[in-house]
Amino acid sequence: MKRLVFISFTLLAFTATMFAGDIVGKVKVQRAKNNANVVVYIDKIEGKVFEPPEKHAVMDQKNLVFIPHVLPVLVGTTVDFLNSDDVLHNVFSPDCPDGKFNLGTWAKGIVKSFTFKKPGVSTLLCNVHPEMEAFVVAVRTPYFAVSDEEGNYTIKDVPAGKYTLMVWHEKRKAKPQVVEVPEKGTVTVNFELKRK
Amino acid sequence: MKKSLLISAVVLGLFMSVILTQSAQAIPAFARKYRTSCSTCHYEFPKLNAFGKAFLNNGLRYPEGQDPDIRKDNPVSLGSEAYKKVWPDAIWPADIDGLVPLSVHAVGRFNYAPEAGGDEEEEEEGGVKSTFEFPHELEVLYAGTIGENVSFMGEIEMENEDNEIEFGFPFWVQWDFNANWHVRLGNVSPDPTPDHLRLTRNHYNVASFRSRNRWRLRDQQSGIELRGAGNGAGGRGGYTFQVGVVNGQGINDANSSKDIYARATYKIGGLGEVGGTQGQGSETSAFYVDNNLRLGGFFYKGTVSGANPDEDITVFGGDLDLWFNRLIVNGAAMFMKSEIPDMADRNSMAWYAQANYVIYPWLIPLVRYEYTDADTDADTPDPQTSLIPALTVVLRANVKITAEYFLPLDDAHKDADQLTLQAQFGF
Repeated sequence: MKRLVFISFTLLAFTATMFAGDIVGKVKVQRAKNNANVVVYIDKIEGKVFEPPEKHAVMDQKNLVFIPHVLPVLVGTTVDFLNSDDVLHNVFSPDCPDGKFNLGTWAKGIVKSFTFKKPGVSTLLCNVHPEMEAFVVAVRTPYFAVSDEEGNYTIKDVPAGKYTLMVWHEKRKAKPQVVEVPEKGTVTVNFELKRK
Repeated sequence: MKKSLLISAVVLGLFMSVILTQSAQAIPAFARKYRTSCSTCHYEFPKLNAFGKAFLNNGLRYPEGQDPDIRKDNPVSLGSEAYKKVWPDAIWPADIDGLVPLSVHAVGRFNYAPEAGGDEEEEEEGGVKSTFEFPHELEVLYAGTIGENVSFMGEIEMENEDNEIEFGFPFWVQWDFNANWHVRLGNVSPDPTPDHLRLTRNHYNVASFRSRNRWRLRDQQSGIELRGAGNGAGGRGGYTFQVGVVNGQGINDANSSKDIYARATYKIGGLGEVGGTQGQGSETSAFYVDNNLRLGGFFYKGTVSGANPDEDITVFGGDLDLWFNRLIVNGAAMFMKSEIPDMADRNSMAWYAQANYVIYPWLIPLVRYEYTDADTDADTPDPQTSLIPALTVVLRANVKITAEYFLPLDDAHKDADQLTLQAQFGF
């Protein structure tokens, strides 16, 4: 029975990637130092609920900086918060859709975790280093990407179909765009983000 | 020509005197160097939090050798690392801060003395009811590190003192053997209070009390100091110590004998005195929280020249500093024995107790009680006692307003009430 389930899932996954394309593009963030840290994502696919990955996502605190600055995750994903500095760090969120949380402080090498169960943006702060800031963006599909400094992004293996492509940036915004993903190949969608 | 005339006019118009003040220890240049907020090191500037003390104890460096990784400036090399292999045939390599380590701290005040004024003679002597004292003080601060073993801190300070400008330029330079051992040369002091970086306008009585020849603990001394710190068991709390030899008075000593002092503290619980994260962590945290009890003791012995024949002073005391969540309670006591040939010995005592509470990280009220008995063996004059309530409001991490009332409780000083509204900022 187990073997049958495994074969079915493998076939399903294979079939899905057989008829899947990539969304690529470039984002331009007006009046920003660079075009990094824009999350581009398909907000939802009607009738589909995606299981969160077993593997935890990771956000580190190193040299008094959250790494990465922006972390998109699928709803239900658990994020492990590391401390790679030999100074105490804290993680708290004043606006997490799951409710405010505060993980306290912890020493170098110790990991604390939090599961983001609701979609939305959580601001993460460290209450011993007020300049530190990061964002976890929990979305309803596994089809998301974060732009690099040049603004490039790629969302791979998106099932063919018509979707609404959203963008999020901490200071700028752009209107969603409808995208039609082909069964094979890529579709290009560019965004220009302006002041909120 | 015009420039020199202008300078001459300014100099002629002001009485310049050199002062040896306590070095300020809120240096915005560090915020630039590490790209971090003031509150990384400060409970509320200039008062240090536990991490700020560990940073200072490490010779103005991040603990555990992390400084090169955490600093965000681009240090200027004064010789490549490989020159260490060539020594002694080359100068040992070092680096200096990539950003000029200069900062500015400005203080202005509005003073209101309800019982003063109304008397022409008194007003001529400065006893007015109210005055805008803007500026009161301007400091150009500098601090940083030179390579792995040298650190420094200093300031150029101008301060209004009854319409005369006092001028000071204290500094120290320190050789940092490692995180635990340092030798400091320059302006040093035994730091008689657990909280010498005070939040109030009024200085602590313990530090301000003067001997019969006008010496006081508050003035920094010119000399040399061995200082050290280390973490306690499990990386928590720990010890600090200072042992120094100083002039006692002035940049050029007023007499041939040198003064000596020592101070030691032991901290129970809380962040280690030289930092690190071993044994640390809690479910809640804040930059102003570090649950611990620190006990300290100090000793000073010296000779003071002045209006009277040379005065031998022996000063000793102790202090207590309790941090519990949002509350800090601390206090210090100082005893001074003054011996002058052909005069009766004088024994003096001063102590204070203070509590401050963080309502919000930007709103901290405090109250201090001070008791000073200039001559414990004499019935008169009565001891001087006072109450100092204050409210500090941090508008921004580097901008602060303080409302403070000095309320004398003894009869001799009962008309010396004073309200101060103080604004200060740094950048």
